[in-house]
Amino acid sequence: MTIDQGTAAGSAPPSLIPAHTMALVGTRLRGPVTAVIAAKEAQRYAQAVGDLNPVYFDEAAARSAGYDGLVAPPTFVQYALVQGRPIEETRTDGLFQGDIPLDLAVQRTMFGGEEWDFLAPVLVGDEITAETRLASLDQKEGSKGSFVRITRETTYTNQAGDVVARTRQIGIAR
Amino acid sequence: MTPNQPFIDDVAVGQELPVVVRNASRVQLFMYSAATWNPHRIHYDVDYARFEGHADVIVHGPLQGAWLSQYVTDWAGPQGRIVSLSWQNRASALPELDYEFRGRVTAVEGDMVSLDVWEQSPDGAVLMPGQAAVRLPSRS
Repeated sequence: MTIDQGTAAGSAPPSLIPAHTMALVGTRLRGPVTAVIAAKEAQRYAQAVGDLNPVYFDEAAARSAGYDGLVAPPTFVQYALVQGRPIEETRTDGLFQGDIPLDLAVQRTMFGGEEWDFLAPVLVGDEITAETRLASLDQKEGSKGSFVRITRETTYTNQAGDVVARTRQIGIAR
Repeated sequence: MTPNQPFIDDVAVGQELPVVVRNASRVQLFMYSAATWNPHRIHYDVDYARFEGHADVIVHGPLQGAWLSQYVTDWAGPQGRIVSLSWQNRASALPELDYEFRGRVTAVEGDMVSLDVWEQSPDGAVLMPGQAAVRLPSRS
């Protein structure tokens, strides 16, 4: 039997996504978890970023800007929801084990970007609940070979039941 | 109103935002890891970062995203509101180098301004392209 070169070159590359991993699309990966937005944590985050906007530090400035109190930096909310873990649970690379690792035929996952919708301000004292779902897994062919684009979508809801933010976090696994 | 408050009336498609330069010290990388409870060694352990193939410790992708968010909210002023923001991290950024943040108005509709915003490497390449939308107050 001869192999037609054109057919071989045009055949689909092997899948990096096993069926049992693909079956997780649409399911919940984390949460619901709840945390109260603390001024000190939000301000430490702002200082670490180098964002000294007075609306994060001075209640009068926040009120004169039209907020009902001290506000948190827009992207802080995801770190307010990070759960503390013992150091013994870290891996060689320093990251924590677990968090429902996705079984993919890849070596490493890199941070690829984020997409945010900011629907309402997050204020100090708000009680925020987060829930993360696996939104999609897409295999793509790039110049450096096949990779998987992982999209995790997190919804943040405040104590009044209003969705205050939504984020889609993109991971690139190759 | 504070002097740094832009109004929707004065914004036009094609307008460029002022350039802002960011440069992360190693101390800043450490503080950002601490403030976000991020133990990943590629951000503070040079030997480990090199083992993973990086030239040095690398700047967190989300820290650059937070810089982009700040770039937009600083421009929007105290009465402006950020509505959406997205970015793609194309490659790693290193500490102690200057990265430029730039932006341009792509659409104005009602009180909503759409922006292309991006971070450039020291060699001028677009390292982190993004889009944002903000609401601005009106003069009337």
